[in-house]
Amino acid sequence: MSRIGMTTTVPVEIILAAGQVPVDLNNIFISDNQASVLVEAAEDEGYPRNICGWIKGLYSVVVSGGNIDKVIAVTQGDCSNTHALMETFQLAGIEIIPFAFPFDRDYDLLRLQMDKLIQLLGTSWEDVQRVKHRLDVVRKKVAEIDRLTWQENTVSGWHNHLYQISCSDFNGNVSEFEQTVDRFLLQAGAASEFDEDIRLGYIGVPPIFTDLYSYLESVGARVVFNEVQRQFAMPFPVDDIVEQYRLYTYPYGVFGRIEDIRAEIEKRNLDGVIHYVQSFCFRQIEDMIFREKLDVPILTIEGDKPGKVDARTKLRIDSFVEMLR
Amino acid sequence: MRCGIDLGSRSVKLVLMNETGLQDSRLFETVDFYRNYGRRTDNGMVVDFPAIGIEAVDSITATGYGRNTIDIVGAKIIPELKAHVVGAIWQTGLESFTLLDLGGQDSKVIKVQSGRMVGFETNDKCAASTGRYLENMATVLGISLEELSRYSDNPVELNATCAIFGESELIGRIVEGHGIPELAAGVNYTIFKRIKPMLRSLLSETVVFTGGVALGKGICRLLEQELGVKVVVPRHPQLNGAIGCGVYEKGKRR
Repeated sequence: MSRIGMTTTVPVEIILAAGQVPVDLNNIFISDNQASVLVEAAEDEGYPRNICGWIKGLYSVVVSGGNIDKVIAVTQGDCSNTHALMETFQLAGIEIIPFAFPFDRDYDLLRLQMDKLIQLLGTSWEDVQRVKHRLDVVRKKVAEIDRLTWQENTVSGWHNHLYQISCSDFNGNVSEFEQTVDRFLLQAGAASEFDEDIRLGYIGVPPIFTDLYSYLESVGARVVFNEVQRQFAMPFPVDDIVEQYRLYTYPYGVFGRIEDIRAEIEKRNLDGVIHYVQSFCFRQIEDMIFREKLDVPILTIEGDKPGKVDARTKLRIDSFVEMLR
Repeated sequence: MRCGIDLGSRSVKLVLMNETGLQDSRLFETVDFYRNYGRRTDNGMVVDFPAIGIEAVDSITATGYGRNTIDIVGAKIIPELKAHVVGAIWQTGLESFTLLDLGGQDSKVIKVQSGRMVGFETNDKCAASTGRYLENMATVLGISLEELSRYSDNPVELNATCAIFGESELIGRIVEGHGIPELAAGVNYTIFKRIKPMLRSLLSETVVFTGGVALGKGICRLLEQELGVKVVVPRHPQLNGAIGCGVYEKGKRR
C-alpha cells in the first residue's frame, strides 16, 4: 500500500480504488507544529523568499521524509508554481504523476485524464465508481456539518473549514474519518447556537494563518461559508464521477467560482466576504474581478508564512467588522 | 476631562478634551512613551499621568497600532480606522469625504458617506508609502522632513519599489546633479504614486488628509493637481486619531 501525495484535490476515488493511501500534502504541511520550519528548510535549499509559502511547505513535507511514495501533481487548474515544484521533486528522485484539469471544463479531456490515472494506478472505472458511492455517503454527512454551520448556527467557522478541507484525502482513512464526522455531528446537533452578529463568507485558498477563525469569532464575526473548502467536499451530488469533477469549481475559471459564491452569499445571508490571498500568488489579480462582480463588502487579507494573524491584518479585520455593523 | 490616546508606530499622541473642545495635547516618541510613562502590571499597562503632568481624567479611550498588543488599564480600546473617521468628522464638520491618513508606518484610505465608513484600504506590508520613508529620504538629502514636504514641482523620476533601495536610487539622482527642490518633489511624487491605486475606488470630491505627512504642502498640492479633488487638512492632522478617541462615545452609532 503506497502513500500517494497530492498537491491539491484530485479524483481521490482513483487512489482509493487502487488500494493506495491519498495524502493531501497541504494538510500535512499546515497541521505540522513546525510548519514555519518546513518553509525555512525549503528556502535553505534555494527556494526564493518571494514564492508562495504553500509550495515551499509542500516541497519540504515530501523531501524531508514525509513518508510519501509518489506525488500526483496538478499541472493545470491550480498554480504554475507546481511545475517547478514537480521538477525539484524529480531532482530529489521522487516519482511524479501529472494531472491536468482542462481549462474549459471539457468532459472528454477530463475523462481522458482520469482514465490515464486509472491505468497508471492499476484500477478500473467500476472500482472507482464503487468508491465514489462510498465517499458520497461521507460527503453527505460533511454537507450536513456545513448546513448546521449556516442554517442552525451550531458549528464554528473553523470546524466548517476543517471537516470540508479534510475531504480532499479523507485523512487517508475513510472509515476512521467517517467515525470522527459522526461523533462531531452528534455534538453539533445538540450544541447551542453561536451568537456572533456578523456573518462572513471566506473565499480564496485556505488560509496559512493558524488562528484566523478564532480571531474572527473573538471580534464577533463568524465564517458561515468556506468557498474552496466546500468545493473540496464536492458539494454538487451527481452520479457521473467525471461530471462531479467538472462541476467542482476550484480548478477552473474565476467566473464559475463567482456564480457559486453569489448563490451562497444569497442563501447564507452573508454580511461580507473575506478574500484571502497568498503572498506572491497569481490569484491576487483575481481580487479585482471579485470586487467588480460581488455585491457585498469585501476585505482582502494576505498571508505569507504559517503562524498567527499579524497585527496589521487584525487591525484590518477589526475595522471591516466594525464597518459591517 | 476625557483623554484620547493614539498609540502609533512612530509616535504616541495624547489629547485632553472636554465639551468645549481640545484642551491639551502631547506628542511622544513611541519608545520613550512606553519607557518613561508606561508601567506593566498583571492587568496591562498603566499610564503614569502625573509623570506626564496631567491631572486625573474622567475617561481614557485609546487606539492605534498597539491596540492588539497593549492593554491600557481602564481604557476603552477602539479600532484605529473608527477613531480616524470620528476625528476627521469632528475636526472638519464634513460628513461625506475620503480620508487619507499617512502615518509613520502605514497609510490608510477610508471612504466616509453620511458619517459612516463604507470602505477602506491600507497599505501592503511595505514602507515605501509612509512617513518613515520620508524621514529616511530627508536624511539622505540632508534636509529636514518639514523642508522635504514643501516641494511638488518638476519631480525627478524615482521608482522606489522599496523604502531602503529608494535611498540608493535617490543618491544616484543626486550624483546626476539634480537640485534639492526637484529631488524632494520626486520623493513626494513616489508617495503619491503609491497611494493612487488605494484611492482609486474610494475617491470622493473632498479628500481629508491627516497624519504627520499632511503637515507638508507638497503632497497636498500633488493630490489636488493629479486627482482634481479638494484637499482639506484639518487643524491638527497628526492628532486626528487621538482626537477621534477623545470625542468617541460608546453606543453612539453613526
